[in-house]
Amino acid sequence: MRVVGKRVRRLDAEDKVTGRMVYPSDRVIDGMLWVEVVRAAHPNARILSVDTAEAQASEGVVRVLTARDVPGLNAFGIQIQDMPVLCHDRVRYMGDAVALVGAETRSIARRAAALVRVEYEVLEPLTDPEKAMLPGAVALHPNGNIMHQGHFSKGDVEIGFKKSSVVIEGFYQVPMIDHAFLETEAGVSYYGEDGQLTIESCGQYVFRDQTQIARALGLELDQVRVTAPYVGGAFGGKDEITVQIHLALMTYHTRRPAKMVAGRDESIVAHTKRHPTRMWYKTGASKSGKLLAVQARFVADTGAYASLGGPVLNLMMEHAAGPYLVPNVKIDGYAVYTNNGFSSAFRGFGCTQACVAIESQMDRMAHKLGRDPLAFRQANVLQQGDLAALGYEMKLAVGAEATVKSARRGKLWKSRRRLAKDTSHHSPSLASYIKRGVGVATQMQGVGLGIGIPDYAEVELRLDRDGRLTVYAGTNEFGQGAYTAYAQMAAERLGVPMDKLGVVGADTAVTPDSGTTTASRTTYAVGNAILMAADKIEALKAEASEPGDISARATFHLPTQDVELGDGLPHLLYSYGTHVALVEVNTLTGEIEVVAVEAHLDGGRVIFRTGFEGQSEGGVAQGIGYALFEEVMLDQGRFLNTNFNTYILPSSLDVPADIRTVPVQVLEASGPYGAKGISETCMVGVTPAILNALQDAIGVRFTRLPVKAEDVLVALEEGRHED
Amino acid sequence: MKIDLRLTINGRGARFEVDPDERLVDTLREKAGLTGTKKGCGIGECGACSLMLNAKLVPSCLVLAASADGAEIVTVEGLASGDGLSDLQQAFVDEGAVQCGYCTPGMLLAGEYLLSRYQRPTSDQIREGISGNLCRCTGYTKIVSAIRKTARRRAIRRSGR
Repeated sequence: MRVVGKRVRRLDAEDKVTGRMVYPSDRVIDGMLWVEVVRAAHPNARILSVDTAEAQASEGVVRVLTARDVPGLNAFGIQIQDMPVLCHDRVRYMGDAVALVGAETRSIARRAAALVRVEYEVLEPLTDPEKAMLPGAVALHPNGNIMHQGHFSKGDVEIGFKKSSVVIEGFYQVPMIDHAFLETEAGVSYYGEDGQLTIESCGQYVFRDQTQIARALGLELDQVRVTAPYVGGAFGGKDEITVQIHLALMTYHTRRPAKMVAGRDESIVAHTKRHPTRMWYKTGASKSGKLLAVQARFVADTGAYASLGGPVLNLMMEHAAGPYLVPNVKIDGYAVYTNNGFSSAFRGFGCTQACVAIESQMDRMAHKLGRDPLAFRQANVLQQGDLAALGYEMKLAVGAEATVKSARRGKLWKSRRRLAKDTSHHSPSLASYIKRGVGVATQMQGVGLGIGIPDYAEVELRLDRDGRLTVYAGTNEFGQGAYTAYAQMAAERLGVPMDKLGVVGADTAVTPDSGTTTASRTTYAVGNAILMAADKIEALKAEASEPGDISARATFHLPTQDVELGDGLPHLLYSYGTHVALVEVNTLTGEIEVVAVEAHLDGGRVIFRTGFEGQSEGGVAQGIGYALFEEVMLDQGRFLNTNFNTYILPSSLDVPADIRTVPVQVLEASGPYGAKGISETCMVGVTPAILNALQDAIGVRFTRLPVKAEDVLVALEEGRHED
Repeated sequence: MKIDLRLTINGRGARFEVDPDERLVDTLREKAGLTGTKKGCGIGECGACSLMLNAKLVPSCLVLAASADGAEIVTVEGLASGDGLSDLQQAFVDEGAVQCGYCTPGMLLAGEYLLSRYQRPTSDQIREGISGNLCRCTGYTKIVSAIRKTARRRAIRRSGR
């Protein structure tokens, strides 16, 4: 192939290295107001009164808005509209918005926000999800605190455990973590020349944002325009509404342009998080190394509002048994409302949590059976035609085994014994305190939204008479490189050189609805639509009597399973990956260093090679963060670490120089050129591979993230070795 | 009270009226229209607002604008030579060191600063040199390699003279 699979230049790279790229936070409009949000002073409280008089009277303040200024539905939420645009009677977490201040400058808006007097009746916060789900707990929402639950079984786990010669029980706790995109939530709003209320912002699905904005403002859809082509990172954290409705409200009431940029503290407190989750596992395998039973119970703390907490829990349950064939399965999951922030989509979408647990269990079983951990995985991976844990058939190509085999052939795994002993880079006196280990994890990840949720992508292609080809797609570019992949696929199919390609993205007034920019779906979904539209362009070209501009639209509907088990449950299409990690532990200081990571990823055909590697390398960094660094800490619903001095992200010193990404291209017949997507798979397996490597290095099984130096020292001190 | 501020930004003189508590990053972004310099945390932890102030790399969110009076400033907008990209910018493009791009301007300035200190930096020196600049997308791999390749090319050019 001419373009597909090549290391082409990103379409947006030049604008980004020169500072010319205009991000939502960069927009400046003449006469714009700055908007600041007055947020809750308590994580759980009744609002008795809101007094805006003093703030409104401040010089430079144009308008203070409260709940009574919301003309439409004062609620939003992707699935359930349970989150107030502006709270009127109750606040349920520290990020809840109570009032908006629009002022001539940002500092005036900030000062005035502090002058809005809110009187509260403070209530005891619900901070423990297991207590919140008990009958009799004070309900945060009308239907009680169990926001969503799921129960699945296949075969009989009790029989499975009885037949097993190894049964392992484990309890795992994973923390709340922040997406920490470098650009905080930001945007501007104004009335366009056509009279449309226009919001240039940072969301992950402009068409759904348009619906949520119009509903809250009581407007028709065509009265609202939303754009968000280029955004400074998202990772699922900008999927839910952030600034959009607030901006629209201020412009609606003042008729003036408005701008919002969240401060980092505000971003960490107010936006969605990864679900902190408690996971109880019991797994059994036969003497010959066959998985016989997996039992899992999840309690995911979804925080104050639903957002996508339900589907996140569903994916956690769907992926609870990993990419393995298991005859006996029992899975119970609960997503529970509390006053701990609110959690929703984040790279991996529930699979991330489950993978930590099941891949730790797999290692423990392999260890007990005295088996090679990769061979043990290979003996149990799902094959095409097998029944997955929840009982549906794996109908499409399954790349799990191919990634395991690739890992077994990889340098890191083959040299693991030598690498684990190699401490020669340390002084002899220190070397005896250095322990190294190698760990692995295998994973599968649903691609697309799953059955029951409309999932389609419409695109438009325009071929100018001068040979310029433009792809109009409604998805966003927040770093993943998808626009470049779109251009490559269009260029390949129509034989147009890459320098004639352009992509116009995410604008409800200009681009078709290509669906969400989430769920590892855009290369697959938009790519397929591009190929369909390209075929139409070819046909039109053949019919045309003279040269002219040609355009064509096409819509691709993602195929689904024929059984429906819940919202987005299950998937038909999955990506696969096996990660191998080499870690080094200084047993004197407890310090952990991730020395090398190999990622064997099956996302089908690789379209944009540089982007594929870049995603993988970034996924490794995020997986290290989840394993070793990151945790949003709360005390009674109040956030303790809300900026990067206390919420620690991996820096260039914490991510290994040695990251190797191996494309395992099991071509997917339904994918464009055989492609699927890897933007989540590339992160999810990294964390358990590190945990397994730590076990290999020092014989300690860590079951609570993040693992810090002090945890290592305490574990060694207590002699907490796994036999 | 407003304070009169004179700066040389990317070789050009500029005058501003600033508040006493105004940060340099905000002056650049909101008054000079130079939004290439980004703001990620406001407390000097993420490096997105890095720029060169009198040839030193600083996080401009920690610099009071008024204290920079008379300073020479280089931002990302001043890196390109003529209408082409600088060699480091070009290396970022070629190596795929850019994803969402929000850390990129600060990374480029940090890269230039370390290349001004080390003619042939080791990988460890490069990692140390950009360790004040957070990136959530790339895992740093391709950023390090773009800086390393630029250093090598510059060394070859120097030895060729």
